[in-house]
Amino acid sequence: MIRYLGSWILAGLILSGVGLSAQEDMSLIPAGSYTPFIKGITEEVEVEGFLLDKYAVTNADFLEFVKANPDWSPENVKSLFADSGYLTHWPVNYLNDKDLESNMEPVVNVSWFAANAYCKWKGKRLPTLHEWEYAALALPKNDSDSAALTRINSDWYSRKTAVHAKVGSTYENQYGVWDMYGLVWEWVDNFNTVISNEDSRNNEDAPQGLFCGSASLNASDASDYVAFIRFAYRGSLKANYTTRKMGFRCAKTIK
Amino acid sequence: MKSITFLLFALILSFSACKEQAAEKNSCCSTKPAMAQKTSGGMPETSLYQLNQQWKNQNGEPVQLSDFKGSPVVMTMIFTHCEYACPMMVNDLKMVEDQFTEKHQNVKFVLISFDHERDTPDRLLEYAKTQQLGENWVLLHGHAGKVKELAMVLDISYEQLENGAFAHANKKFVLNAQGELVFSQEGLQTKAEPVLKALNKLL
Repeated sequence: MIRYLGSWILAGLILSGVGLSAQEDMSLIPAGSYTPFIKGITEEVEVEGFLLDKYAVTNADFLEFVKANPDWSPENVKSLFADSGYLTHWPVNYLNDKDLESNMEPVVNVSWFAANAYCKWKGKRLPTLHEWEYAALALPKNDSDSAALTRINSDWYSRKTAVHAKVGSTYENQYGVWDMYGLVWEWVDNFNTVISNEDSRNNEDAPQGLFCGSASLNASDASDYVAFIRFAYRGSLKANYTTRKMGFRCAKTIK
Repeated sequence: MKSITFLLFALILSFSACKEQAAEKNSCCSTKPAMAQKTSGGMPETSLYQLNQQWKNQNGEPVQLSDFKGSPVVMTMIFTHCEYACPMMVNDLKMVEDQFTEKHQNVKFVLISFDHERDTPDRLLEYAKTQQLGENWVLLHGHAGKVKELAMVLDISYEQLENGAFAHANKKFVLNAQGELVFSQEGLQTKAEPVLKALNKLL
């Protein structure tokens, strides 16, 4: 805990200094390090401080984006960039749908390309895998029980049906970021990164080491089954895939 | 009356469908036609050339992927500081080229660099010379965001390592004249025949 103290103080300083001009819809994630679930090695990964959206992008947010960027409408989007599931949960007449205009549920059925384009449009970017995982490690606000996240995750993963819930309805973490777990899965910039430590000679498309015994011995925390699922799931995605459970939020580099 | 309204409606429908998707065979009813038949900007929707990106070739000239439209392309992603995998990859492609005959004269080899920092056009030109790559080889340099998008389209996973090198999947692709992926091969020291076969189907 001590080693986090420095970054908390720093974060406080930055927040009180430049924080006033920082966007209110984003939280500062202070610099630090974490050990990814699988790296093939046990080294910690350093993460620089960055800004992260407090909430996942909602249907209402995304509707604005589509209105401003007709290339990303369900009719116009190219299959290279989004599969046929793209925004299929929207009503046909989405342009004039009052409910959608104010819908605060996280947008799903969006591809990586669409998420990437949205964040660019906002002057932001998608968080990297390490940024996302690092920010998600923060415990719920006012909760010092380190098992709290595991509980949230296990409850979430064992739910059989997708629950339609608004952003900001699960839990807020210590950085002030909501719903990192419990609402939707989220795209990250480099979801298809080479996670295992194999060199380029024999690495395969998907991190295959993830699925066999040898690599799981390298897992930094073998009990972290939920992280295992998350990493494995990412490896199965392609950038034009859309699913009913996958949304996103944006990040920003601190200048 | 009912049937007249219906006819009118059908007419309007078919008219607007023709206007928007002239090249499409099956434009009757669905707002989301079958993928293979969907076109946009005169190109199939699944064409890589839908990526509207600017690159620079080894001569420092601006290049768009769609500039390769009209001829088959063999494509891969590399970086020139790569000591092991990429030279092998380039070698694999040279083996393909070695078996070319007259009919293959329009085939282009397009190598895109992962390394947006070090692989400047100058560096790529130097690499092309050392590797003795001919005129039909194009090496492309572009910013990190473009590299990422292209790698996403090609489903090539990669990661920059701390020493500046890139861990990456080794894949070769054949694109048809429209920029659609028609063949991919994974691995190193692969056989040339499957690539040639894919190319020959296009010629």
